[in-house]
Amino acid sequence: MAVTEKRSASQIWGVGVRQIVYMALGAALYGGLSWVTNSLQLPSAGNVSFRPAIVIPLFFGAVFGPLVGLFAGGIGNLLGDYISGYGVFWNWDVGNALIGFIAGLAILYTWGRYNTTQKIVVAEVLSAIGIIVGISFAALNDMWISKLSFTTAVTGEIFPAAGSDLINGLILLPILLVAYNAAVRRTGRA
Amino acid sequence: MLFNFPYIKRDTPIHRLDPRVKLILLFFFGLAVAQTSNFWFILAGLIFATFYYSKARLKWSETRHAWIFIIVLNFMIVVGNYFLSAGSVVQGVDLSHQHILFSIPFFGFKSMPPFIGPAPLIFSVESITFMITQGMRNFSIALLAVPIPFTTDPSQMGVAFKGMGLSYKFSYAIDLAFRFLPTVARDFSTTLDAQRARGFEIDKLRGGIFGKIARLAPMVVPVVIGSVVGAEDIINAMELRCFGVRKRTWYIELHTRPLDRMFIALILIGFGAFTLLNILGNFYTLGPLHFLHTQGIPHFLAP
Repeated sequence: MAVTEKRSASQIWGVGVRQIVYMALGAALYGGLSWVTNSLQLPSAGNVSFRPAIVIPLFFGAVFGPLVGLFAGGIGNLLGDYISGYGVFWNWDVGNALIGFIAGLAILYTWGRYNTTQKIVVAEVLSAIGIIVGISFAALNDMWISKLSFTTAVTGEIFPAAGSDLINGLILLPILLVAYNAAVRRTGRA
Repeated sequence: MLFNFPYIKRDTPIHRLDPRVKLILLFFFGLAVAQTSNFWFILAGLIFATFYYSKARLKWSETRHAWIFIIVLNFMIVVGNYFLSAGSVVQGVDLSHQHILFSIPFFGFKSMPPFIGPAPLIFSVESITFMITQGMRNFSIALLAVPIPFTTDPSQMGVAFKGMGLSYKFSYAIDLAFRFLPTVARDFSTTLDAQRARGFEIDKLRGGIFGKIARLAPMVVPVVIGSVVGAEDIINAMELRCFGVRKRTWYIELHTRPLDRMFIALILIGFGAFTLLNILGNFYTLGPLHFLHTQGIPHFLAP
């Protein structure tokens, strides 16, 4: 029997039980893995850590939608700083939320299925855009909050943070997407 | 891997404060101090923040890790900003009559190729005052930010966000994220042990930067995919209990005391008055209304 899958905007923009659980899980994973790697600071002028966990908001956004990515990035970053005892730095929380949100826009084309190279490339491109926009937002806000100069914001925060996140995210994201595909096929859950 | 929230149960005025007051105070204080580079105002903010922090009665041994990080970070921000900007750090202040103390040969960014070259690094009364102000500003924000995780019960965070107008679904997700954290840490620890038993050495990853990141996959993939697949059971359990059909309530209910309401009112009034003063300062270039647009350097230092 053929099964026709209904695709609607509510699948992407709606917030049901599934989205709530994945938002929470994404935030916990991002916060937890960031906590593990927060001690690996990069030489820079700002709060920039070597963070392989950046792949979490990218992955959750790409697979479960922009709102899940937004939450996983924003609240995950807040959780990571919270459990490290660093306090709350809202501009970096919003910046990370933007990363997850923009990466999640890939779902408009892929519907959360990454079974072809083309779909994975779309997720990678949007993730790269998300990282650049999100980190730029946070760093340029530091020009206002911490009174950094434009040169410092760009060379001291955007380059090291976005560079590290791009390398980490773009290497780990396809690995996770392929592994997720295999897990979905094996368990029959999607 | 042992996972503990930094929360320390204690009876202090800051512990008793409603979590919403702490978050609102941090947010609006940050927005207020970002509006000025006036030394005296920032100093007043630092004194207030230090007083607030002292009321939390946090010991150095409890917060040492966070403070070392913040001190190093602040130092890097202030000094890094100075060197990367070749001393041209002062913003929002008229610097047509800068009082230069000395300058040293340095490298600076240029508008023409090769875009970098020799340039003097200027030390002036204004730029040094700005550096001190910048450091004080960052420390004052940190003094309000650090007590939040140490004085706020994590179980109250979801309710606090709900109380600030966030949708109950998102607030519940925040609560759930805090509850997932110990599980995620346990899964990470189990996976790490399992991979180590197979010869995986996370502390000694070989290869270049790309190779090292790719070699993290045996750690990251099982934890993430295992959690995602396992979350289906939680979704099923929540759906069976009709989650989302009606609005939920929380076991914990936050009651603002008159003192909390007074603090919130003071914060909002203070921020409003400060912003108004800042806006008015744009129209009156002389006199007390222009106070926030100056650095407040005493006349004998910069005659």
